[in-house]
Amino acid sequence: MILLRLISWQYTRKHLLRSLLTIAGIVLGVAVFVGMHTANQSVLTAFTQTVDRIAGATQLQISAGEAGFEEEILERVQNVPEVRVAVPVIEAVMNPQTKSQANILILAVDMTGDRSLRDYALEAGDDSFIEDPLVFLAQPDSIMITREFAAENDLQSNSELTLNSMDGPKKFIVRGIMKSSGLTSAFGGNLAIMDVYAAQKIFGRGRRFDRIDLAVQEGLDPAAVQVKLEKVLGAGFQVEPPSSRAKQFESLSSVYGMLANITSLFALFIGMFLIYNSFAIAVTQRRSEIGILRALGATRRQIQILFLAESAVGGLVGAGLGVLLGILIARGIAGSLGQFLGEVYGVAQKAEEVSSDPRLLVGAMVLGLVTSLIAAWIPARNAARVDPVQALQKGRFQLLTAGENRTRRWLAVGLLCFAGLSLAFGHGRLLFYAGYICSIFAAVLLVPTLGLWLARGLRPVLKAIWPVEGTLAADSLIQSPRRTSGAVTALALSVSLIIALGGMTQAAYASIDEWLRVALNPDMYLAPTQNFTDRSFRFPAELAGEVEKIPGVRRMQAVRIVRLPMDGEPVMFVSLDISSVSQEARLPIVSGDGETMYRAAAAGKGVIISDNFALMHNRKRGDILTIATPGGPLELPVLGVVVDFSDQKGSVLLDRSIYVKYWKDTSANVIRIYLQAGVTVAQMRERIAAQTGTRFRYFVFTNEDLRRYILRITDQWFGLTYIQIAVAVLVSILGIVNTLTVSITDRRRELGVLQAVGGLRGQIRGTIWLEAVLIGGIGLILGCGFGAVALYYALETSARDLSGMRLAYGYPFRTVLTLIPIILGSAFLASLAPAEAAVRGSLVEALEYE
Amino acid sequence: MNKLVLFLLCAGTLLAQDARKIVEESQKMHRSRSQQYEGVLEVYDTKGGKNEKRWQYARIGAYGESKSVLRFLAPPLVKGVALLVHNHPDRASDQWMWTPELNRDRRIALQDRSTRFFGTDFSFEDLEERDVDQSDYKLLGEETLSGQACYKIEAVAKKSRTTQYSRQVIWVRKDILLPVQFEMYVKAELVKRLEHKRIEKVQNVWSTLEMEMNDLRKKTRTVMKTEKLKYDATLPEEQFTLQALRRGE
Repeated sequence: MILLRLISWQYTRKHLLRSLLTIAGIVLGVAVFVGMHTANQSVLTAFTQTVDRIAGATQLQISAGEAGFEEEILERVQNVPEVRVAVPVIEAVMNPQTKSQANILILAVDMTGDRSLRDYALEAGDDSFIEDPLVFLAQPDSIMITREFAAENDLQSNSELTLNSMDGPKKFIVRGIMKSSGLTSAFGGNLAIMDVYAAQKIFGRGRRFDRIDLAVQEGLDPAAVQVKLEKVLGAGFQVEPPSSRAKQFESLSSVYGMLANITSLFALFIGMFLIYNSFAIAVTQRRSEIGILRALGATRRQIQILFLAESAVGGLVGAGLGVLLGILIARGIAGSLGQFLGEVYGVAQKAEEVSSDPRLLVGAMVLGLVTSLIAAWIPARNAARVDPVQALQKGRFQLLTAGENRTRRWLAVGLLCFAGLSLAFGHGRLLFYAGYICSIFAAVLLVPTLGLWLARGLRPVLKAIWPVEGTLAADSLIQSPRRTSGAVTALALSVSLIIALGGMTQAAYASIDEWLRVALNPDMYLAPTQNFTDRSFRFPAELAGEVEKIPGVRRMQAVRIVRLPMDGEPVMFVSLDISSVSQEARLPIVSGDGETMYRAAAAGKGVIISDNFALMHNRKRGDILTIATPGGPLELPVLGVVVDFSDQKGSVLLDRSIYVKYWKDTSANVIRIYLQAGVTVAQMRERIAAQTGTRFRYFVFTNEDLRRYILRITDQWFGLTYIQIAVAVLVSILGIVNTLTVSITDRRRELGVLQAVGGLRGQIRGTIWLEAVLIGGIGLILGCGFGAVALYYALETSARDLSGMRLAYGYPFRTVLTLIPIILGSAFLASLAPAEAAVRGSLVEALEYE
Repeated sequence: MNKLVLFLLCAGTLLAQDARKIVEESQKMHRSRSQQYEGVLEVYDTKGGKNEKRWQYARIGAYGESKSVLRFLAPPLVKGVALLVHNHPDRASDQWMWTPELNRDRRIALQDRSTRFFGTDFSFEDLEERDVDQSDYKLLGEETLSGQACYKIEAVAKKSRTTQYSRQVIWVRKDILLPVQFEMYVKAELVKRLEHKRIEKVQNVWSTLEMEMNDLRKKTRTVMKTEKLKYDATLPEEQFTLQALRRGE
C-alpha cells in the first residue's frame, strides 16, 4: 500500500493523461456492457412490471400462443372445481388520437367477474353511481382509463376518446377513471380497460379470447391446479403463471442481449491490449525505479504485486467510470430498444425508468478489474524479473526490448492448425468456439511478427518518399516492436471486427433483398395496422372473401401469422394458401424438391420450415414436428427447408386449411394481393374502398412500401452493430494516441539528440505523424486480413447461435475502402498532440531523460 | 352426565328440524307457478346520490327450480340488457346476460356470483333462489322485529354449495311465515343486511313490495321496489330460453 502511494501514485500523477487513456478501453467496454444490458434489463423490467401489475391476483394464465382460442374454453376452465375465478382477456396496444399521441395498452376483460382478480380503484370511490357498471357493460363504447392518462390528455368522466378499431376510428366514452394504484401504473400509466366482448369486435377477434386469467380456490397449490388444467385442456394450451410471459419476452430479446455481450467483451478485449501496451512500456520506463526498489530489498513478488495493484486500481477506476457512463447511455438505448422490439416482434414496451441490477453493476466492476489484471499480468511478471544491476545501467533497455520471440510464432502456428482442424472436423459448438478463440489468440500472437515484417517492407517506400522522417518512423517501429504491438493489435482486432460486421451487414442486405424480390412479390398488401408486426388487430375472414371478388384482383392470399410455443420458445407460424403461393413466389430451397414439397404442403401433408428454424431447432427434412394445437398435438413431417427471413427465430409455413382446422381461427393478419395486368394499386385501392365501404379498417401497402418497411427494420437491427463499430474505432484511436504518447516519452532522449544535431521541428513532427500513420496502416492491413477470417466466424456464429440464417460469404471491399481514410485520418489526428508535445519540450531535459 | 349430553344432542336435532321445517313451510306458502312484476332499483352512494334503474321481471316454475328473465327498461343506456336465470335445486344457477348494443350474450360464471349485481348492493348470489336442501338450519330463537314476532334462524350453506357467505341469519314472521330480514356474515363479520320493508298480500300471496339491501362495509344501500306484481299468469316456457333472450322477448 505504501509502495502504491509513494511510487505508483506519483507515476500516475506524472502521466495522468496517459493513465486515463490506458483505462479508456475499460471505461468504454464496461460502459457498453452496462449501458446495453441496463437498457435491455429496463425494457424487460418494464414489461415484467406491466405483466405483474396487470396480473393482479391472477395465479395462472391460459393461452394458446398468439392464436387465441374459442370462447368455449372459458367454460371448460370455469367448470374445473379447483378454479375459483377465471376470466377472459384480450390485450392489445393501440395508438389513440389523443394529445399525447402515446400508445395505450388496452386490457379487455369481463367486468362481471374480473374484479375478483384486479382492483379497479375508481376515482369517484363509488362505482355504483358515477361509473355505472351496467352501463359500462351495456355500451360497447365504454372505456376506463387511468388518472395519469386522463390528466395527460385532458380527459374527464364521460369525455370522448377516439381509438382506431377494425371498423375505422371509433369514439369511446370514458366511463371510469381509475385511481393511481399498482394496476394503473402498468405500461407507464397508459392503460385502458374495456369490456372483452366489445374488444372482440374492435380487434377483429370473432368469438375468441387471447387468454384466460384465473385464481385457484383458497388453500390450493397453483402448481397442482396448473397440472390439472394442462390435463383438462391438452397440449395446445399453455397454463403458466403470469411471470412466464416475461420469460417469453426475454427469449425474444435474447439476441439483443447476446449482441450486447459480444460488443462489450470485444471492447474490453481490445481495451486489454491498451492496458498491456501501457504497462509493458511503463515497466520498461521504470526499469531504473524497479532496479532501485530491488536494490533496496523489495522482493520479486512485491514488485509483481505492485504492478498488479496499479492495474487493479486502474481497472476499478475505469470500471467505475464505465458503470456511470453506462447508466447514462442506458436511458437513450432503452427508448430505442423498446421501439425496436415493438417493431420487430410486435411486442411494444416502453421503459419509463432505467433500472440497474446491482448484480450487473458488480459484475461489470469485476469484469473491468479482471480484464485489467489479465492485461497487466505479463508486464507485472516481467517487472518482477528485472535484474537490478542491468536496470540501473543507462541505455540497456533498448537492447532488452529488441527481438521477437520465436516460441510465440510457433504457438501461433499451433493455434492456427487447431482452429483449422476444428473447422474441418468439428461440428460441435464447443470445438467451433474453441477454434474461434484459438484463431483470435493466434492473430494476437502473430501481430508483433507480422507488424515487424510489414514495417520492414514499408521502410523503403517511406524512405523513398520522405527520406528522413520516413526512415525514422519506420525504424522506430522496427527497433521497438513491443512498444507498438499492443496498439497495432488493438487496431487490427478493431478493424477485423468492423470487417466482420460490415461483411455480415452486406451479406444480410443482399440476402434480404433477394428474399424480398422472390417471396414478397405481391403488388399490394392490406394490413389492419400501420405496423406490419403488430398483431393486435386481425381481419375477419369475410374481408378476404370480398377482396378476392373485386374485379382486377388476379390472386388474393390471406395470411395468418402467429407465434406459437415450440421447444419452449415462441416460433413464428405463417399460414397461407400454399398452393396459391407456390404459383407466385417460391422461396429459395435449401433442402427438398420444390414441386413435391409445395404440392404436399398445399395438401396439408406437412410443413415447410425456414433454414434458420432448421438450424436453431436442429430439424431437417423428414423430421416430424409436433405442434401443440388447441385440438391436441398435431404431428406433421418437415417437407422441405427454404430460405425465409420472416423471423429471426425461424418460421414454419403451413397451409391455411390446416391452421383453420386445428386452431379454428379464420382471421388474417395480412392480405396479399396480385393485380391483373393494367390495374394499378391506386385503382385497386379505390375499388376496395368502394366494395368494403367503412366496414373494415385497413391500411394499403404497395410492394415498395413493404420493402422499405422491412429494410427500415433491418436498418434498425444493424443500427445496433454500428454501436460496435463506433466503439471499435474509438478504442483503437485511443490506442494510437496512447502508443504515441508513450513512444514520445520513451524516445525523448532520441528526439532530443535529433534536435541537438540539427533536426528541424518540422522533421520531428513529420516523423511522429508518419509513425502514427504507419501504425494505423499496419493495423489496417493486418485487420483486413484477420477480418476475412473473423467474417467467416461471424457468419457461422450468426447461423449457429444468433439468427440461424445462413448468409453468403462476401468480403466487404467497400467497408475496407471506407476504413482506409477513417483509420489513417484518425491515426494522423491522434498524432497531432503527441507530435507537438515532442517538439515543445525542453532540449536539456530531453537529453537528460532516461 | 351421559343422559344430559344425549338430551342436548336430541334437543339440537329437534331445533334444526324445526328451523328447516319453518323455511320449507315458508317457501311452500309463497310458492306460485309464475311471477311477473316491474321493479325499480334505487342505488344510493355514500354521499346520498341516487341512481335509478327500472326493469321487468318474469319467472316460471317453483321456488328453487325456476326460470326467470330480468330485462332493464331504463335508463336508455341500459335499456334491453337482460339477465336469464335457470335455478336448480341441487346446484348453483346458470345465468346469462344479453347486451343488445353488442348483439351478444355472455355466460356469468359460477365463480363470479360474489361480484355486485351491476353496481347495486346485491350480488348475483343474493338474487338466486335457494332450495331448502342447499343449507343447514338452526333455530336461534324468537325475536320481535318492527313489532312482529319472528323466528330467528341461522342458515349455513352445505359444503357442496359455493357461497360467499359463511352464514346467514334469517328472521321469518311467525304469523305469515315470510322472511322479513336477512343478515349475511363473512366469517364473524356482518357484511350485509336485507330488510323487507313493505309487505302486502297480492292475489292471496304475502309478498314483499319493497326491500332494502345495506352493504355495511361500503356503507351504501340499494332499494328494490316491486310494482305491477302478478302471480300465476300463463307464461310460455320458450320465453325463458337463450334464444328468446337474444330475440329481446
